Amino acid sequence: MGADPLLLGKISLGVLVLVVVKVVVAFAVLLVTVMLMIWFERKVISDMQNRIGPNRAGPFGLLQSLADGIKLFFKEDLVPDRSDSFVFKLAPYLAMVPAFVTFTIVPIGGYIKVFGYSTELQVADPPMGILLLLAMSSISVYGVMLAGWSSGSKYPLLGSVRASAQMISYEAAMGLSIVAVVLVTGSLSTRDMVLSQQGSFFGVIPHWNILRLGVIPFVIFLIAITAELNRPPFDLVEAEQELVGGFNTEYSSIRFALFYLAEFMNTVTMSAIIVTLFFGGPDGPDPAPLHWLWPILWFVIKTGVFAFIYVWLRAALPRLRYDRLMDLGWKVLIPLSLGWLLVIAGMQISKVAGFSMLAALIVGAGLLYRAMAVGQRSNATNAMSASLKVAPKDALDSRAKFGDTHVVSGKRVVTRISAEGVVSSKSGGDPDGRT
Amino acid sequence: MAQYLPVLVMAVLATLFAAGSFVASAIFAPKRPTKAKGAPYECGIVPRNAAAERFPVRFYLVAMIFIVFDIEIVFLYPWAADFRQLAAFGFAEVVVFAVIVFASFVYLIGNGALNWGPQKRVEPQVDLDVSNEDSLGSSSSGVRAA
Repeated sequence: MGADPLLLGKISLGVLVLVVVKVVVAFAVLLVTVMLMIWFERKVISDMQNRIGPNRAGPFGLLQSLADGIKLFFKEDLVPDRSDSFVFKLAPYLAMVPAFVTFTIVPIGGYIKVFGYSTELQVADPPMGILLLLAMSSISVYGVMLAGWSSGSKYPLLGSVRASAQMISYEAAMGLSIVAVVLVTGSLSTRDMVLSQQGSFFGVIPHWNILRLGVIPFVIFLIAITAELNRPPFDLVEAEQELVGGFNTEYSSIRFALFYLAEFMNTVTMSAIIVTLFFGGPDGPDPAPLHWLWPILWFVIKTGVFAFIYVWLRAALPRLRYDRLMDLGWKVLIPLSLGWLLVIAGMQISKVAGFSMLAALIVGAGLLYRAMAVGQRSNATNAMSASLKVAPKDALDSRAKFGDTHVVSGKRVVTRISAEGVVSSKSGGDPDGRT
Repeated sequence: MAQYLPVLVMAVLATLFAAGSFVASAIFAPKRPTKAKGAPYECGIVPRNAAAERFPVRFYLVAMIFIVFDIEIVFLYPWAADFRQLAAFGFAEVVVFAVIVFASFVYLIGNGALNWGPQKRVEPQVDLDVSNEDSLGSSSSGVRAA
């Protein structure tokens, strides 16, 4: 069980002061990191799009986010007339506090000694560790949902309804891929997870969870938290072409700034969590001098790589359609992560159990594929029979007569028959929730 | 419980930071509310009715189905944390559990509970003589009403 040696003994005043200092330092570093992250994203995106990006405030435009933040303090803070004003004011807290709290469990380095107290380079190391991440990501769903709902406006509501369905869908996949990490660690503490990833296979390949677990949990986790963060290509929550600004359309001034802050904070935190879970955290080569510095350096480099990957994804990928997003989450990621978890567990027991689980995974995939085909048809049949007021079987026969959803050369074609007797058909189709 | 102390301190600090920002904003920001500013933002169009109060039932359905998987995950965490002690017995138990959950999942999918595709609108009041060949999607799919 992981535990910070600082807090194992009696809690004296000195310990308390040290805890507060640690938290304040972490908080300040996080704020600066978020400012740099916003700058970094804007700069990299503009490079990828052949633009210059922010370059006025400070050297290379480094102070741009600070200038924006200060500006927002001086902007009028509007609370819409139709909003539920208590919830409207509560929502930014619900978005921001979890973002900060999640970072407390990330191990940044090894152990240090300060004024005779030995402590971990990590804000907190509670025994349930990673569960805090799940708890906080659940709470941040409330922030987004209540922000949209309390605005009393059309587009924020649509954005937040989409967001909550999306976030809870991918939370399941995220939870299942973390279980795989817990399984090989045998502990929920993030410090233990990092410690168990030290060492190497054959002295060269790092003993990181990404290799130990066979890459798939990592891929699922990366996709799932990109959706959790509402970042492109899963940013349907704030699809500006359809929803103005998404759930925070009605927010202005500093309230908007806090949502923005929370969003980038979550990006940074999640990059750090990926590094912790799958890339050994602060693990890395440790040449002779400055033993306390190297782990921190490795940690920062790895986190930076993932921060860059998020920006890259945003520049490279178009937004998914909503129905495809839900299909990916429910019909691919959740069953795959469950199946792969059983494969990992089986491999820990014996080779036979592992490979039989792998076989079961393939059989399950076949079963699921068949179920999807049946589901597609049963939906069509039910819709038919409901509107025709006939038994489903007869409805099937009348499909040819009344038009239906077909799959024509891989594309879904919808036929619409209106009362005027005009058939309009179109490819693709609008996902639900767009009203 | 002492291990949770920094988490608590961080939560308090973050709350204070947010509250402090609101106080600062209240001091510095101008306050000149007008009726137009208080109206819901809809790209300049004057909003006619209240924000949509109905949305597709599938969103609720997803939330309900999520419960099944959330419960499953809740059960998997303690098992995973104690996997080494439980060994083969625990593994067998979880396989049985996973098969049951997967069966219910297949049932849901088989019923089309998680389909998000477009909805069909069939209005059979008019007696249509539709020859619905596979020429759909082309411009020639206009049809005579009988």
